[in-house]
Amino acid sequence: MRFAFTEDQQAFADGLGDLLVGECPPAVVRAAWDDGSGHAPDLWARLGDLGLFSLLVPEADGGMGGGMVDAVLLIERLGAAATPGPVVEQLIAAPLLGGTPHAAAAMAGTTVLTATPTLDAPVPHAGMADVVVTDGALVTGSVATPVPSLDGGRQLATLTGGTTTPLDTGDLTDRMALAVAAQLVGVAASMVTLAADYARDRHQFGKPIGAFQAVKHHLADALGAVEFARAPVAQAAWSLDEGLSTAPADVSLARVLAATGAEQAARSALQVHGAIGYTWECDLHLWMKKVWALQAAWGDTSSHRRRVGRWLLAGDGPVTPDGDTLPSFERLR
Amino acid sequence: MDLRYTDAQRAFRDEARQWLAANLPTEPLPSFDTVEGFAAHRVWERTLHDGRWSAVSWPTEYGGRGAGYIEWLIFEEEYWRAGSPGRVNQNGIFLLGPTIMEVGTDEQKARFLPTMASSEIVWAQAWSEPDAGSDMAAISSRATLDGDHWVLNGSKIWASRAAFADWCFGMFRSDPTAERHRGLTFILCPLDAPGVTVRPIAQLDGEPGFAEIFFDDVRVPLDCTLGEVGGGWRVAMATAGFERGVSLRSPARFTTAADRLVALWRLHADPADTALADAVTDLWIRAQGYELHTYRTVTDIGDGKPIGAEASLNKIFWSELDLEIHALAMHLLGAHAELTGADGSATWVKSFLFSLSGPIYAGTNEIQRNIIADRVLNLPRGT
Repeated sequence: MRFAFTEDQQAFADGLGDLLVGECPPAVVRAAWDDGSGHAPDLWARLGDLGLFSLLVPEADGGMGGGMVDAVLLIERLGAAATPGPVVEQLIAAPLLGGTPHAAAAMAGTTVLTATPTLDAPVPHAGMADVVVTDGALVTGSVATPVPSLDGGRQLATLTGGTTTPLDTGDLTDRMALAVAAQLVGVAASMVTLAADYARDRHQFGKPIGAFQAVKHHLADALGAVEFARAPVAQAAWSLDEGLSTAPADVSLARVLAATGAEQAARSALQVHGAIGYTWECDLHLWMKKVWALQAAWGDTSSHRRRVGRWLLAGDGPVTPDGDTLPSFERLR
Repeated sequence: MDLRYTDAQRAFRDEARQWLAANLPTEPLPSFDTVEGFAAHRVWERTLHDGRWSAVSWPTEYGGRGAGYIEWLIFEEEYWRAGSPGRVNQNGIFLLGPTIMEVGTDEQKARFLPTMASSEIVWAQAWSEPDAGSDMAAISSRATLDGDHWVLNGSKIWASRAAFADWCFGMFRSDPTAERHRGLTFILCPLDAPGVTVRPIAQLDGEPGFAEIFFDDVRVPLDCTLGEVGGGWRVAMATAGFERGVSLRSPARFTTAADRLVALWRLHADPADTALADAVTDLWIRAQGYELHTYRTVTDIGDGKPIGAEASLNKIFWSELDLEIHALAMHLLGAHAELTGADGSATWVKSFLFSLSGPIYAGTNEIQRNIIADRVLNLPRGT
């Protein structure tokens, strides 16, 4: 039993984090929002150069052969920078295109992918995507019609026409649900940091507002909500990589904690900022809107909680039909 | 990352499970906050010690197994799953013991740890005073030097287990002229010393889980000083770190409580009440979250990354989780929840009452939030 990321995994994440500090400041995120594209082309090219989109592609197909445990720390950093565009979708979906004509370009990022659980609703990032991956199929050549979207870095569009080809997408739904959870952990952590920074700077009654207990307690609780989602996200990644039968429940467990934690962090961060946080000018909303936009992505909190509940309270869960409990930790064996 | 237990860890779990199955009392013990229950729990601790299960993570020379933290978590899982008795000497084994190992002299380790592991000596904590609760640095009980002895005067209150325990530990003001955090010394004191008076205090369940301890010219040899004279605050913070961090409340208590909540839901709930099912599921999820977080934390500790002020996050999380699990259990019990006899709900009601103390003891959750804000988030100190 060893519950820790390797130094290499940590170093890769730190490297990505450093790159994003320079290449994805709020000004870059705002530019992607303001031109209606939800796209940051220069940043996209840098992330492609870094090899990010080849992370999960098997070595036999020319990729890095990484797993979800490798990916989740990176995805957290992408969330922490409120990175615009389908970076996470591209990272998760690229390995599915092995053997298709799109494989090499998807890995390089020169062909842009997005992913969606359904084609019947507006698809995030569809306006800039060349290929749309959905459960069991890929779609090319469709026409995207933008629709107004809450998160300008996640512009939605409806799709018409195009060619649909069957594709084995495996556990795409669980991988994306976990990727959303990892993103939300990063988004939430940044909001806590932003609000703590603000609480040190903003003075009222002759002192920084962070000296007041009401403000301290908002932020302490928000930090706790974020921190207790990190280990479940890591564990679910490991379960997916190991192909465990509990992986779907583990993903949903992590998703519930990450999403509820991020909602709490958004509210606390807004409250600590006060009126300035309620403006377009303040950067906080670049993160807050990602929380709200992602709430229903790849299953909402309620559906994920019930997926755990179905497993827990009936059927396959840790409680036997005659009511005897089997201990929770048997999951870990 | 490898979340599989090793073969040795599985064997350790099997050994613990088999030992508990063979040695657990067949009937639940009376509460350890009663005379007969305290005695019965001391006997149980002796049995645990004879099997070398009372302090599994301690070095073998002091009565432990020298086991790692993961093994300790495994033991705790087996212990609580089996419905084992509460740990009457937890103030010693989980709080003071690790502190003695960190700051005690070799002589103190040899003198205090083996009798602690065997519960020949059961320890009470003596943190609070009538005018020093959350503001612990306001302690005014005095320790005055007289030759090779301290002379203790003053009183401590809300001292858990002190009604029946043998020794207590706490801080005393040894230098009234020093800045308030600096004039404190951590002292160990026998509760049968001349001048000690113990006044039991009934807790919410009616039993004397607390006591007030009065010190009237109590003479304690200087070798009962833990750490440096005037260094009591630092020693106490080490103890509090263990308490709030992982040692006092391993996740197994809460995952076990959450599993039992699920069993209770199956007995009493209308499955059509989806809000109730969601609430049970949510608490179970949070208990798992705490467990996973702890496995990550102990891996970090094993890698030499000490647990710092983040321990306060744990304390808030487990205490609020425990309270919510038990509050929901009370709802599930319905009309049975006001029956405190032996009709099956007594155990839930008693543990519900105990769970209410979680956000208060070991430093109130408001104090924990201040610590997180000041030391983790680096917010400015309040005035």
